[in-house]
Amino acid sequence: MAAQTYALAAVMEDNYAVSFPFFGAERRGAPVMAFTRVDKDVIRIKTQIYEPDYVVVLDETLLETVDVLKGLKEDGMVVINTARRPDEVQLSREVNCATVDATSISLELLGRPITNTSMLGALARATGEVSMESIERAIMEKFGGKLGTEAGEKNARAARKAYQDLQVGMCRGGKDFVPRKEWLPTVQEMPLGGSIGALETEAGLVGIGSFVRNKTGDWRTFIPHVDHDKCIGCRMCWFYCPEGCITMEDQKAVIDFDYCKGCGICAQECPVDAISMERERR
Amino acid sequence: MVVTGDYSAAYGALICDVDVVAAYPITPQTFIVEDFSEFVADGLTDAEFVKVESEHSAMSACIAAQAAGARTFTATASQGLALMHEMLFVAAALHLPIVMPVVNRTLAAPIGIWCEYNDTMPERDTGWLQVYCETNQEVLDMVIQSYKIGEHRDVMLPVMPSMDAFILSHTVEPVHAPSTDEVADFLPRYQPQAILDTSNPMTIGSFAPPEYIQEIRYQSEVTMQKAREVIQQVNDDFAQTFGRDYHGLIEEYRTDDADVVLITMGTVTGTAREVVDDMRREGKKVGLVKLRFFRPFPLQELRRVAENVEAMGVYDRAMSFGSGGPAFIETRHALYGLDIPVVNFLAGLGGRDVVKEDVRLMFEKTLKAAKEGRAENETVWIGTRGVKP
Repeated sequence: MAAQTYALAAVMEDNYAVSFPFFGAERRGAPVMAFTRVDKDVIRIKTQIYEPDYVVVLDETLLETVDVLKGLKEDGMVVINTARRPDEVQLSREVNCATVDATSISLELLGRPITNTSMLGALARATGEVSMESIERAIMEKFGGKLGTEAGEKNARAARKAYQDLQVGMCRGGKDFVPRKEWLPTVQEMPLGGSIGALETEAGLVGIGSFVRNKTGDWRTFIPHVDHDKCIGCRMCWFYCPEGCITMEDQKAVIDFDYCKGCGICAQECPVDAISMERERR
Repeated sequence: MVVTGDYSAAYGALICDVDVVAAYPITPQTFIVEDFSEFVADGLTDAEFVKVESEHSAMSACIAAQAAGARTFTATASQGLALMHEMLFVAAALHLPIVMPVVNRTLAAPIGIWCEYNDTMPERDTGWLQVYCETNQEVLDMVIQSYKIGEHRDVMLPVMPSMDAFILSHTVEPVHAPSTDEVADFLPRYQPQAILDTSNPMTIGSFAPPEYIQEIRYQSEVTMQKAREVIQQVNDDFAQTFGRDYHGLIEEYRTDDADVVLITMGTVTGTAREVVDDMRREGKKVGLVKLRFFRPFPLQELRRVAENVEAMGVYDRAMSFGSGGPAFIETRHALYGLDIPVVNFLAGLGGRDVVKEDVRLMFEKTLKAAKEGRAENETVWIGTRGVKP
């Protein structure tokens, strides 16, 4: 949505723009990418972007696992949602870097950690390619239309705040990334029809049982806290948890934080308000 | 507007003032159904939106509605299209000009949601017209044109304008939309040739022994052949009215003095245009043919292009296993008797990104075939691990 909104803002300023998402797994919290091209002329190319001018990182936990600067042009810029200053961020190389605590802004102004509209304001300021006024208009059209004027205005305010709070500088370089190993079998190595059991590959275990090692709890923004004095052991949280990561010990709910994605459904469903959601501190 | 391909399709149906929509959601077509149901909820159209329990039912409902004289719209993708398969024959054989955008998505197994043409290609023999789009603008424009072509008295066939999963369906880009009034002037009210009407009962699609069916099949072929002219007429009328010319069954790009041409479909065409420009700057005489309509297939048009070149490459985003890519098979059929090498390129299956380097390799292989007078390999899989292209 944010990438599309940026494209809309660019078109409002007489540019041509194209924007598209790339989803991996179709589930909330999984890493996704979105690409936007802006030009004065019609854009014909339909591929993904491999050498961007700007990279926007909405989730700072990705900085630990992905070299977000891969392909970024020498004079390009990375814009990151983080409470840290640019010079406190270490990446693979020293590049133009802008930071803003969009999560706090979104929590304050939207009541939810949805940072995409805030980051639009940050991007407008960092790049100077699209005016903040156009971003606000585009947010009103895109979000105001679907979610109502009030929601649109809140998102526009979040963008404006991020625009104002943005810190611009350079990040530090020198961070070593061990490139994430991928399993990319040849035709000869590929099991027939792609049917696999448990398969040890250079990228680790693939197929059956791989999630035992693939911890998904690091996608969390909020963490549930169970007050065992209040818990009545009714199992409602256990029943509703979409990840199946709640177990009962001595008639009390216990959460497996290796897999809990912090969706908050348990807190919502608990009949005695024994579960509260707190901001994850890493 | 700055909108997705899905929105363009839904908006096209809106401004064509369709009467009935019966559709079932499936990724990546879902937004078409959602967007249109919002139009209904917002009171922008008085179309009847029929919620159904499957794609088979969606097509069945569309057939009934169209037979009752309604201008009908639906949309699907992948497994949904496969589930409709038997009803597609019914819609076409009964000459019901339903318009159904299809978002090209790989057909399982394995399950994927990205672009491949193995969903629409198996439907090429159902009697539907098929056109493959390159941009969201083309999606919207082809919904309008599809009604005008399909509803033409000499055609009366259903039309399937299709778009690449995600690369168009979920991509926003600027799209110009004519007003409902402008479309109404261009596209007159649907004039059904036979209507299901309780006061004037008739039977359609009933039992027919061998004494009758062959003539009915011949009618399908006649109307499909007739569609060639109608497609061109509608294209030219549209260009005159709205200022956007898609050139009919195919579009040629820098083919005039080309030594070799590459035939592409869908969004790869846009990327290939860039590659043609790059290679032209390097002094290589390459050109491009955008294969728009797959049914009816542009036999004469491709032959005319081939007569002036030394070799042809054909890009396919699907494989007819044991034979070749569908576009390649049909192109060779069009070129029968012409003595030039034709090379088949497979790439982008399952939605793998087809980048400029991939397209450049297709041109280079085709140039090599032209130089040597024969193709080293007739079928070239590009970007397949463990397979030499």
